[in-house]
Amino acid sequence: MTAPTTWMTARAASSAAAHGEEGAWLSRLRDAIDHGAHLLPAQGPIPVFIHHNTLHAFEDLPFTQAVEEAARRYGCQPYLAEERYREELERGRIRFAGLEAMLRDDLGDAADERLPPRCTRFELRLAMLQHPVRFGPTEELLWFVAETDALRHVRPATPPATRLRLIAETRRWVMRDLRGGHEAGHNGGATAGQRAAAGLSGLLERFGEARIEGWTPEQWEAFALQSLWRVCCDGAATVPECTAAPALPTRHRDLLLQTTGIDTDLRVHEVLHPYCAAFLDQGLAAWQLPLWSEGFYRAFSALYRLPGGPPDSWRWGLASELRRMEAARVGPLESIRESLDLLGVAEEEWDDYLAATLLALRGWAGMIRFLEERPDRAVHPPPPGSLVEFLAVRLVLERLALQAAARDHLGYSGPLTALRDELRKRLGTPRPHSVEQRAFLVFQLAQVLGWTPPDLHRLSEREWHTLVREIEAFSALERRRIFHLAYEGRFRFQSLDALALHAPDAETEPRTPRFQVMFCIDEREESFRRHVEELAPDAETFGIAGFYFVPMYFRGAADAHFVPLCPVVIRPRHWVVERADGCQEGAHGRRARTRRVLGRTMHQLHVGSRTFAFGALLSAVFGVLASVPLIVRTLFPRLMARLRSTCGRIILDPPATRLQLERTEAPPGSGHGPIGFTLDELTDIGERVLRDTGLTRNFARLVLTLGHGSSSINNPHESAYDCGACGGSRGGPNGRAVAQILNDPLVRQRLAARGLRIPDETVFVGGWHNTSNELVTFFDLDLLPDSHAAEFAAARGILERARERNAHERCRRFMSARLTLSFAEALQHVEGRAEDLAQVRPELGHATNALCIVGRRCRTRGLFLDRRAFLNSYDPTQDDADGAILTRILLAALPVCAGISLEYYFSTVDSPGLGCGSKLPHNITALLGVMDGAASDLRTGLPWQMVEIHEPVRILFVVETTPDIMLRILERNPGLDQLVRNQWVQLAVLDPHSSTVRLYRDGVFRDYRPQAQQLPRAQSSVDWYRGWRDHLEFAVIDPRAVPAG
Amino acid sequence: MLQAADWLNVLGLLALGAPFALVCLLGVTSLLDRKLSEAATGKLCQGASAVGLLAALGVVALMLWRGTRHEVIALGEWVVIPDYHFSVKLVFDRLSLPFAILSFLLCGTVAGFATRYMHRERGYNRFFVLYALFVLGMVLTALAGTIETLFAGWELVGLSSVLLVAFFQERPAPPRNGLRVWVVYRVSDAALLLAAIVMHHLRGEGDFYRLLGGEPWPDGHAALAGAAPLVVGVLLVIAAAGKSALAPFSGWLPRAMEGPTPSSAVFYGALSVHLGAFLLLRIGPLLEATVWLSAVVVALGLVTALYAYVVGSVQTDIKSALSFASLVQVGLIVAEIGLGFRYLALLHLIGNACLRTLQFIRAPSLLHDYHSLENALGGHLPRVGGPLGGAASSTRPWLYRFALERGYLDSLLAACVVTPFVRLFRACDALERRWTDFIAGRAAPESEAPQPYSVALEELP
Repeated sequence: MTAPTTWMTARAASSAAAHGEEGAWLSRLRDAIDHGAHLLPAQGPIPVFIHHNTLHAFEDLPFTQAVEEAARRYGCQPYLAEERYREELERGRIRFAGLEAMLRDDLGDAADERLPPRCTRFELRLAMLQHPVRFGPTEELLWFVAETDALRHVRPATPPATRLRLIAETRRWVMRDLRGGHEAGHNGGATAGQRAAAGLSGLLERFGEARIEGWTPEQWEAFALQSLWRVCCDGAATVPECTAAPALPTRHRDLLLQTTGIDTDLRVHEVLHPYCAAFLDQGLAAWQLPLWSEGFYRAFSALYRLPGGPPDSWRWGLASELRRMEAARVGPLESIRESLDLLGVAEEEWDDYLAATLLALRGWAGMIRFLEERPDRAVHPPPPGSLVEFLAVRLVLERLALQAAARDHLGYSGPLTALRDELRKRLGTPRPHSVEQRAFLVFQLAQVLGWTPPDLHRLSEREWHTLVREIEAFSALERRRIFHLAYEGRFRFQSLDALALHAPDAETEPRTPRFQVMFCIDEREESFRRHVEELAPDAETFGIAGFYFVPMYFRGAADAHFVPLCPVVIRPRHWVVERADGCQEGAHGRRARTRRVLGRTMHQLHVGSRTFAFGALLSAVFGVLASVPLIVRTLFPRLMARLRSTCGRIILDPPATRLQLERTEAPPGSGHGPIGFTLDELTDIGERVLRDTGLTRNFARLVLTLGHGSSSINNPHESAYDCGACGGSRGGPNGRAVAQILNDPLVRQRLAARGLRIPDETVFVGGWHNTSNELVTFFDLDLLPDSHAAEFAAARGILERARERNAHERCRRFMSARLTLSFAEALQHVEGRAEDLAQVRPELGHATNALCIVGRRCRTRGLFLDRRAFLNSYDPTQDDADGAILTRILLAALPVCAGISLEYYFSTVDSPGLGCGSKLPHNITALLGVMDGAASDLRTGLPWQMVEIHEPVRILFVVETTPDIMLRILERNPGLDQLVRNQWVQLAVLDPHSSTVRLYRDGVFRDYRPQAQQLPRAQSSVDWYRGWRDHLEFAVIDPRAVPAG
Repeated sequence: MLQAADWLNVLGLLALGAPFALVCLLGVTSLLDRKLSEAATGKLCQGASAVGLLAALGVVALMLWRGTRHEVIALGEWVVIPDYHFSVKLVFDRLSLPFAILSFLLCGTVAGFATRYMHRERGYNRFFVLYALFVLGMVLTALAGTIETLFAGWELVGLSSVLLVAFFQERPAPPRNGLRVWVVYRVSDAALLLAAIVMHHLRGEGDFYRLLGGEPWPDGHAALAGAAPLVVGVLLVIAAAGKSALAPFSGWLPRAMEGPTPSSAVFYGALSVHLGAFLLLRIGPLLEATVWLSAVVVALGLVTALYAYVVGSVQTDIKSALSFASLVQVGLIVAEIGLGFRYLALLHLIGNACLRTLQFIRAPSLLHDYHSLENALGGHLPRVGGPLGGAASSTRPWLYRFALERGYLDSLLAACVVTPFVRLFRACDALERRWTDFIAGRAAPESEAPQPYSVALEELP
């Protein structure tokens, strides 16, 4: 326990003993802080990037409610912008029929309710979806009406018949009723009639009533619109306010910002940005924060109560305030209480106020909280209680900044407790929607729905009220929600159609496959698997979570530290090291020494270039030489890469190595548990891998087990491209380990005893696939028996060709790669990307994820799934009636895939708010994350360049099982049930024995009727995707298909 | 048949003409809203840099062949009135050529980098238009033979730099920091402009060559007498201090890191920040004329270097750390100039520019590099520790805080210069309003006091 915490607790305990009620506020305050803290972003340090649901804190709410609540809390977007959806509607990505269906479904029985003047609720809402409804400040609308064609020409979207009717009806109304003075109106008898006549008579006069019979059609059109506008204004004027005014913000700063335009957070953050970074720094700065070990609060106090600070007037009181607190021994929690009292925040408000205060600097605060909870994720984790201390410091600074700003910009020198009241008084009540704003809504809709001025004129006040309320109820947010459902629906139908219509082809199912390959379930491997199968129809592939159920802390022969290789929810209990092969230990030692010397030199240069004398020597004497790597690396990245890898081979990689998987005792004092797994544990792993994938018979002579990872340079988010199932690291060691386990004769013996007989002639080879440069590397090839050499060479040849094709398929999504690249050129292109310093999109990561299929490969084999589907192998025919295997598969796959999908979703719908914006101004800070430019909050989420082509949809899980089993699994696993029931993921089941698909909704599965008759067919993948950049429909790849054209 | 002298003229003009043509091409197409494609823009920028570089190298070759150390291309007079003329002159000597070659080399490389780095960025075209302006400004400054030519280049560099700092204009911080840089640049520009006027006033011309005694760089002596060199010198030192972020103007340098990585790299880390040093090199003999002016320059350089070193050692983000590392060397370069080591300073300047550009464009690799270093060393990297490791424990926190808050320089400038300045003008404004109200007989309309306007998110619950 660190000093400040003991100090504080001691104080708190004594005061609690002294006054019982004071103890109560303490726990109240702790609760309030916890409540705010759980809203903070939960992203850890980015050297190991773990995908997670950005709105994890809201998972107990249904998706729609959660995103709206989060939008309010964070001030971020819940869906794409309305214009984006409308563009998608125009280009056919959202189908109009689908939109109609979704709207009808959403409205249910209320859809056909009649609304004045003459339409149904459904028609009204559909029109609002179909045609942009403009809204804006009153001044802008008045300008728009006065200065544009809005009152001269009917909206272009209006159908011609409606337009003509609008003009004709107005004309008849004017000529027959209005000029004759017979129009009394329904709303209030003669007065309304007079009013209308008075309003319109001015208009008639202006148009020249005397010549009314000689008006041109243009004049009539303008008159119709102007009268429509006036009628709308008259009508809207009678409607009382029906939407509640938005609540005023809680924080003083927000109120002050609204009143004066002065942002006190700027000042507070000017102090906190560098201080938080210095406090959390993992070793970037040469000089560590003095008194770091004393904690956030005391270190701050020690630094900032020193005399001789900057002359900023708002901070004049800081040193004395800190000295007072130090003298009175005010602990962090007490200080928070004190600040809240001084700011006039009552106890009922604590939750909201503190949450909003924490969220004002959510990146840094979130990182403090994350590292408090997971100190194993950083070298220098902050001590527990740091978030409370952060908050205490923050509130002290805020008090001072507010006091100064109120004094300087409001002339307010009263106590802070009354500041909010003063500000609220100055702001006054928020303006309700003005008459013009409401009239403009009706005006726009009237034109597309064909409501004429007489129609609207005859509405009673109550009808006007209903109409306006209906229109306002279908707000922009609601419209976006419906659009989003239709957007998702289109993809869901397309995916389910593909699975329902694709019949497994008996002939493509090999009897005894030539070779088998296991891949990670990652959707980026979907295309690789497809290409392998296209090139070798007699091969078979499997998908399994890429850590191969070998959860371990792993340290490579040339690595300094252990890294956890398993999903983040698992804390490994085993340590595995890679060691140099016995006879090569000498060579290994020599290389390690060389590396150390080189490393030390590089570090000296790195640090030294920033110092005084050494930096001078370096830049004056050798600086010019820097131009050589500068130019070569920038202009010829592949050449440089080749040079570097040649040098690297000599010094970096250790020679032949072995994984030490069998159990040995850890060296004493190493601080970790025993090395390796026991034989039983190894057998468990082997059994789990084989049973989960369904590979229990028909073993080929050669089985490859591939992990995956991604290499790129100059990319702070490099780890985000690695294997999610390996906790954001490269999964090579796991592929290697599982092959070694399954080759082990002792393990095989024990597996046989458990009823899993691996034929003696079957050999497993481990390796990893680099999803960025498409390199496939194998391990332990020296152990491969000669009898299998030829087969391995053949299989490797297939993989070589598959990686070219995979590169080719990937290149269609890169705008900087020509669509006409050959296979070899495509491979060169992706290799260049991975080595290019200037490349901000080395690969596109999970940007295409949208679907996860858990089932036998024969249900999807031969389908072009466009790299959009996580493919998890699972054979329902080998599972028991409870779905024991399925349960454990879903427990691993569902949260991981949902996390990836949702992180991409939120980083796409609001890139600057929930993602981390563009990569271009990113600046690595404290070795923990990135910030924008010179100083900003720590940015969490995914950069825009990663999600640029992503379609934000919730992931659709399709599981090959029966509804009963699935429902029972959900019932028994509340974690999965919450994600499914609250619609954070979509779920469907595919019947194991037929092509029936059932879709989950509100706790039950309902049969899904395919919308398409048949799927498009192509001879090969390349025939289907060639020449196309965008997402593609799913197709059947069938070599016997008739070539198009 | 062209003579060697003609060739020299052609090549010399080409060195300036290439970036000028680039500005025209990119600028005109942007103004006409016929923006070039990404690839074409990138190729043009690299091409222009390559042409400029080759032309400058050609000039070097010709001068070596002819054995001259000083060549001038006069482009004529812009303004001629009695006692005053504004002449545009390019000079090729041992200072201007290396600096021009450096500019072309770094700018060309960074253009290649940015073509891929900025791919699909909305402001792609804007970036390269500003880039072209920057290159033109750099080359014009490097080759300037008169102070007025130099001023033109100096202004182009300043303007384009500031707009690049504020490149990401949809966020509030970049324009705010851009404005800070702009203000400091204006102070520096004003000093340079005053120096130019004083020079014209004293000698009727702004020609460096004649001002410095008609000897090729780095030789020369001040051809001014009395207090004149001191006045001009002080003004030029102020100009250089603003541009090179010397104390007390250092606050803008880290703020300039708001732009995209390539522009921070080449512009503030490498080229822009050396421009002040370049100016001091150009007028080196003038500094020598007064001992205590040299002493001021040496002191300014050393103080800046010391300041940047102390502040740099606590920076926790890579771009700030690198910018202060660069500033340490700029300070030393300035000190070298003050001591009269001009060749050393030039070499130091070029070396620092190349090194920092490389370090800046590799800045996003930091996590990767640290990881490999840790693997090579087999453990966590040791912390180096800050300056004054042996100092008393009471001074160290003070120094740390001084460093963490970047020496309070921005606050000091704000409190001592900006606030009084603003107050003075606000007072004048208030006086004027009172006067106009008095004449009008009524209070000024409310519209003159703008209300804050914050754009709220559209209809969120």
